[in-house]
Amino acid sequence: MKEKIIHAIFNDEQDVLTAVKALKDNDVNVNEVFSPFPIHGLDPILGLKETRMAITAFIYGCIGLTFGALLIYYIMISGEGKSWPMNIGGKPNQTFYHNLPSFVPIIFECTVLFAAHLMSITYLFRNKLYPGSSSTSPDPRTTDDKFLVEVLYNKNKDQILQLLKKSNVSEINEKDED
Amino acid sequence: MKNNKKYWKGLAQLENNSNIEKLAQNEFAEELPIDEFLSNDLSATSTSRRDFLKFLGFSTAAATLASCETPIVKSIPYVVKPDEIIPGVANYYATTIYDGRDYASVLVKNREGRPIKIENNKTCTNARVQASVLSLYDSSRLQEPLSKGLDTSWGDVDQTIKDKLSSIRDKKIVLLTGTILSPSIFSLIKDFSLRYKNVEHIMYDAVPYDGILDANEISFGSRSIPSYYFDKASIIVSFGADFIGNWLNNDYSTDYINGRNPKNGKMSKHYQIETNLSLTGSNADKRIPIKPSEQKVLLSDLYRSLSKGSNPSDSRLNEIIKKLRENTQKSIVVCDSNDYKTQLIVNNINSILENYNKTISISKPSHFRKGKTSDVNKLIQEMKSGKIGALITYLANPSYNLENANEFNAALSNVDLTVSTSSYNDESSVLMDFVCPTHHNLESWGDAHPSYNTYTLMQPTIAPLFNTRQFEESLLNWMDKSDYHAYLSDFWKNREVNWEKAVHDGYFSINDPLNDVKDIAPLDSSILSANNSVDDTIELAIYEKIGIGDGVQANNPWLQEFPDPISRACWDNYMTISASTAAKLNLKNWNVSNGALNGSLVDIANKDVIIKNVPVMIQPGQANNTVGLSLGYGRKNAGKAANNVGFNAFPLLNADTISIKNVEGEHEFASIQLHHTMMGRDIVKETVLADYIKNPSSGNKRVTYPTFKGVLPADELSLYDEQDLKNGHFWNLSIDLTACTGCGECVISCQAENNIPVVGKEEVRKSRDMHWMRIDRYYSSEMTKEIADQNDISSIDMYKQMEEPADNPEVVFQPVMCQHCNNAPCENVCPVAATTHSDEGLNQMTYNRCVGTRYCANNCPYKVRRFNWFQYSDNDKFDFNMNDDYGKMVLNPDVVVRSRGVIEKCSMCIQKIQQIKLTAKNEGRPILDEEAQTVCASSCSTNAIVFGDANNPESKVSKLKKDERAYDLLDHLNVNPSVFYQTKVRNKS
Amino acid sequence: MHKESKIRDPLILGNKTYHDITKDIAKPVEGKANKYWWILFSLSVVLMLWGFICMAYTIGTGIGTWGLNKTIDWAWDITNFVWWIGIGHAGTLISAVLLLFRQKWRMAINRSAEAMTIFGVAQAALFPLIHMGRPWLAYFVFPIPNQFGSLWVNFNSPLLWDVFAISTYFSVSCVFWYIGLIPDFAMLRDRMDKNIAPMKKKLYALMAFGWSGRAKHWQRFEEVSLVLAGLATPLVFSVHSIVSMDFATSIIPGWHTTIFPPYFVLGALFSGFAMVETLLIIMRKVVNMEAYITIKHIEYMNVIILFTGSLVGVAYITELFMAWYSGVEFEQYAFLNRATGPYWWAYASMMTCNVVIPQLYWIYKIRTSFVATFILSIFVNIGMWFERFVIIVTSLHRDFLPSSWGMFSPSFIDIGIFLGTIGFFFVLFLLYSRAFPVVAQAEIKSILKSSGSEYKK
Repeated sequence: MKEKIIHAIFNDEQDVLTAVKALKDNDVNVNEVFSPFPIHGLDPILGLKETRMAITAFIYGCIGLTFGALLIYYIMISGEGKSWPMNIGGKPNQTFYHNLPSFVPIIFECTVLFAAHLMSITYLFRNKLYPGSSSTSPDPRTTDDKFLVEVLYNKNKDQILQLLKKSNVSEINEKDED
Repeated sequence: MKNNKKYWKGLAQLENNSNIEKLAQNEFAEELPIDEFLSNDLSATSTSRRDFLKFLGFSTAAATLASCETPIVKSIPYVVKPDEIIPGVANYYATTIYDGRDYASVLVKNREGRPIKIENNKTCTNARVQASVLSLYDSSRLQEPLSKGLDTSWGDVDQTIKDKLSSIRDKKIVLLTGTILSPSIFSLIKDFSLRYKNVEHIMYDAVPYDGILDANEISFGSRSIPSYYFDKASIIVSFGADFIGNWLNNDYSTDYINGRNPKNGKMSKHYQIETNLSLTGSNADKRIPIKPSEQKVLLSDLYRSLSKGSNPSDSRLNEIIKKLRENTQKSIVVCDSNDYKTQLIVNNINSILENYNKTISISKPSHFRKGKTSDVNKLIQEMKSGKIGALITYLANPSYNLENANEFNAALSNVDLTVSTSSYNDESSVLMDFVCPTHHNLESWGDAHPSYNTYTLMQPTIAPLFNTRQFEESLLNWMDKSDYHAYLSDFWKNREVNWEKAVHDGYFSINDPLNDVKDIAPLDSSILSANNSVDDTIELAIYEKIGIGDGVQANNPWLQEFPDPISRACWDNYMTISASTAAKLNLKNWNVSNGALNGSLVDIANKDVIIKNVPVMIQPGQANNTVGLSLGYGRKNAGKAANNVGFNAFPLLNADTISIKNVEGEHEFASIQLHHTMMGRDIVKETVLADYIKNPSSGNKRVTYPTFKGVLPADELSLYDEQDLKNGHFWNLSIDLTACTGCGECVISCQAENNIPVVGKEEVRKSRDMHWMRIDRYYSSEMTKEIADQNDISSIDMYKQMEEPADNPEVVFQPVMCQHCNNAPCENVCPVAATTHSDEGLNQMTYNRCVGTRYCANNCPYKVRRFNWFQYSDNDKFDFNMNDDYGKMVLNPDVVVRSRGVIEKCSMCIQKIQQIKLTAKNEGRPILDEEAQTVCASSCSTNAIVFGDANNPESKVSKLKKDERAYDLLDHLNVNPSVFYQTKVRNKS
Repeated sequence: MHKESKIRDPLILGNKTYHDITKDIAKPVEGKANKYWWILFSLSVVLMLWGFICMAYTIGTGIGTWGLNKTIDWAWDITNFVWWIGIGHAGTLISAVLLLFRQKWRMAINRSAEAMTIFGVAQAALFPLIHMGRPWLAYFVFPIPNQFGSLWVNFNSPLLWDVFAISTYFSVSCVFWYIGLIPDFAMLRDRMDKNIAPMKKKLYALMAFGWSGRAKHWQRFEEVSLVLAGLATPLVFSVHSIVSMDFATSIIPGWHTTIFPPYFVLGALFSGFAMVETLLIIMRKVVNMEAYITIKHIEYMNVIILFTGSLVGVAYITELFMAWYSGVEFEQYAFLNRATGPYWWAYASMMTCNVVIPQLYWIYKIRTSFVATFILSIFVNIGMWFERFVIIVTSLHRDFLPSSWGMFSPSFIDIGIFLGTIGFFFVLFLLYSRAFPVVAQAEIKSILKSSGSEYKK
């Protein structure tokens, strides 16, 4: 059976919090909240899971570190070294660890490079953000000063409206999902 | 099967419309108005837009195609390859260089028929001889004979000259030449004087030695230069004679240094009593600056006290007298005076000291200088009075280098026939009726008799570049003969000389009769001068710079850019003056914001001779109230490199005093060393003979650091294991600072071998000289750390005062090229690994890989890396030999010409090492010691530089490396250089 | 939600609502430029073009057009390079480090500071390129598999570390900046009227990546910003440490100093904040941001300048002490020569501008005056330029062998290129100030209730 949608628009993030809390307590399905800036304390009420961006960053960092180390090992020690040892400034050129001190900076840079870029790319992917994709917000004012709560329901509409009114909602738009 | 079907294209054809047929015939619907379009007036044409676009398209395509054309490189292969020439393999020919000033028996390196490098052949050469190979390719040499300044043919010239010569009746025919060394030329001139009436041959030297020659004539009845054996002398007293630099035939430095080897304790003691700070003076153990007028006084004093056994009245001589008395038969006294009386005193001093036939030999003379200035003056008078019918000059440029050149030029007009055989249209040639340009030495046949028993031959090493003819050939032609080559070979074959061998070796010896000399004539004591008091009139001392000499090769850009060993300035001559005298006259030197040196200007005058706007160079060691002027500059018709560089000092050749007038304005010097003292640093390590004999490692103290392993020098403290350099070759270079006289021959030799560009005065002024090796010259300073400690002077003041050289400083020379560090700071910092280390201990530069960050140059503690700030070849802004089709022929094909934007530096002549390695490999033998040589080592006349394989225990260099005197420059840095130095030992108390 | 004490001074002045903020920040983008903007812009364009001409001439003719010589192979080129890199640092510090320290006042300025970083680093990156003898071979410095017999780069070289450090720093800064920009672009997108400015709307829609401000997105947004800040922080310290190693790892007295990395980083922050102030004090006038960039912000930055400035002073003194204490005559002479040698004037102006003048910030009146701050910030910029000049030139011009001691004086090309980069920098920044939301409005809105002036009543 198809669900109906209410778009409740608020002027203040405090009201959003109270409203969403009230709705959730009466186990109403609050589908999404659109806001011009992050509302602290909303995630637990909405029941959003912790994001795992930080973990991906760590993994990418490890990849970067390995890449940097291998690159330098191949170029300075093994690859050319075996066939044609390069004596540069009389430094020991046969072993990686002897030369390590002068390799640290670049290995570090590679780590940061990979972590930062790959994480940002992941972030864009997960949020489906890319040039040309268009806004999915039902109301353009949500990037300005309005907070929009999207409620899905198929019965006891009046109760929902009651709850919204209680937490002084500014407007309510209903429309059918189809 | 017959086909009667008709196929038609379109209805129009079916209806066989007539103009469809017509259209089918011609390809283009309407005529293309190309001619119209190409006509100048486009507006008038009926060219449609579409046509225009067609043309546009076509022309664009055409242009694009045209631009794809590859540049054409001219290279002409041998049609028939000469047997002796293998492309890529050098041939060496023995020949002789003699330009009237410098003489040397040399080996010429030929590549594909082109002489590209001069090596010495058992004699010592100098910077000018090394550079003479570039003069061969000087495009300002005359390319055709000239008649009244216009190109003409040899036929015409010879005809007219012969006619004129034979038409001369009662007048004289004069051959005015520089000193001639060639026996065959003398005999030619004899023939010539038989062929034509009253021929006279006059010789003169640009820098005259009449004094010494006349003195010897009076003392010994033989007008000749004696041979000096400086290696046999243990006391050398030189009154201004710059015998290491330019005095007489400048081949004394080898002997001199052989006599100064501290190893066997036999080291001569050298006193120099002179006015200008000369190269010889800066090598002396004790140097006494005097005014020229004091010279004769001191010599008289010396003579008196030696003959009477009394003490000299001048206390400065006490030590000298003492030493001389102790070392009879083992001393030399020489003097540069051109006054025969002074030289008579010198002769007598030497005879009192019994030096003749011991350290000096008049019976075995040297033939270098034979000129007689009085003859020239007589000639000028005769020319004036029109007694001269013809004047032929050879190895002479009288209009430039005669003291009384103006007089000569004026008189020239009274001579019916004037012929110059100079290879340049120089100051004299332009005034002559005919110029019959002679060959360069490297194009000519010839011979020379430099000194007793010694003969050398000159052979062509390349076909004449221009339509020139050597002087001897000209003489023969004017006697209706020809083929000097045959004449020469017969000349010597008739004297039982093995011609082939002689030509091959380049020299041979014939036992000359001893020069019959009578015992020395007693000295007429009236010529001795009394001790006079020294007044403060400004006296003048003329000298020659090591680079330019008397100016014969002034148009050689290598020599022009060769920094003077003493002043370190190039592209200039100037008036040297002592600091205190300069202060008195309110003359200054100062450095402008980019460090370059500027100086005041003065007008100097002596009698009617005035030289305007002479730059002033403050010169430590210059005697007070004296000035020095160098010859060889101020050429007017020498070529683009030399014209209008500096001023001509020949008019003041015999002037003794001058007056100085300060004038407005300043002069811009090009000096490659802006700072002259060692600032109390341990850069050139020194000791004195006495200490050295006690302890060979004296003066060679190393910086040590207290560590947990004990107190160690830097090179035994390393954080990681060193690279293994014990296997294979390990090329090392040893530089003996005691043997190095600073003559700078190696600098030019290196420039010739390694295609080092000439960058010009402006760039040198910006300290962008490109020389791969430089000879640092340091003066001692009055202020030392010890003095500072004793009188507790603050280090700020100490360093300030250390910057000032002493008035009469001790001088040290230190050749510095890439030190080929085995822990090279430059290699580590190159981001693209363009400079890396070879396993033979060489620091190698990969030009193709260099992107030119210049980090290596910054990080080089010796500052030996050179950057190509501009494109130095084929660039009109640098219009020197590398921008000249002839000049480029001197380039060494084994060494790449560097492009703009890359770093370059000494490679230890790796091309030569490689070539020897290949030869040895082909012959399946190990490389012999000193077989592979860097050119600085091979050209060094005093063997100060020794190159070799330090891994070969037998090699000279590996022994030197173990020597107690050996030290690394800046060893506290532990860059572990492959170049090392031997401490300088002075023979002083 | 975040609560803040009423005693703290407000960071946003005037009775602003969320919508006012939106309006104010959108205004420069939507409205016309005022005359200050045009004056500055045209001036900068002229400088920029002149600089480009000089660069073209250099690349066409050779490095010889500069004042360098065989002894001093780096001078203005690397001085400018280090100076610009240093300026960049404040941006990252503000946006990253202060974020980690939860400094609310950064929100008004981090966008512009970050922009300054990116434009500054862009200028810096020019110099390593054009100072090369053969810039057309610049790609040699990247480890690209190649046909030259597989030639590789040298990982021992500090210059190569630079290549990696700077490219990482630049790209990461850009990403960090852009991630923050997305919601603000979305705001602009939604304000644009399809009928009035269709192109603009399309453009901002493109740049906004279709941001719609969902709760989950905001959650990730905050996490990503935090992690990027965490990454940028060590990065900003590493970059200038590595730049300092260009000198510290060499053997030239005056360069060969282990104190350099911290010393350079501090100097960088010091000069960076000075430049931020210079820019913001101009910008708040040129695009009317007085309500958001308040004297409080300036004062906070002045305090940081005072702090870093004093530390830099300590570093200078430490250098002198170490030279004396080392007992190495070359070291001692190097520093003696700095202070008393031919380049004493450079050292003197460095000392005055970097150590003495910032001490004025102890005085409250100066610390809290826009005019005074502007003037002092200029002094600091000059002083820091001289610091790099002193380090590079006075160390090189008299090193080990007196025979090769020399002097340096710039050619007009040197000067032209430097002015050119300043022009280029301002061109970029002025364009940015007209096309980008110069204040991170989303963040500002989130602190309005806590730090807005009327909510403090």
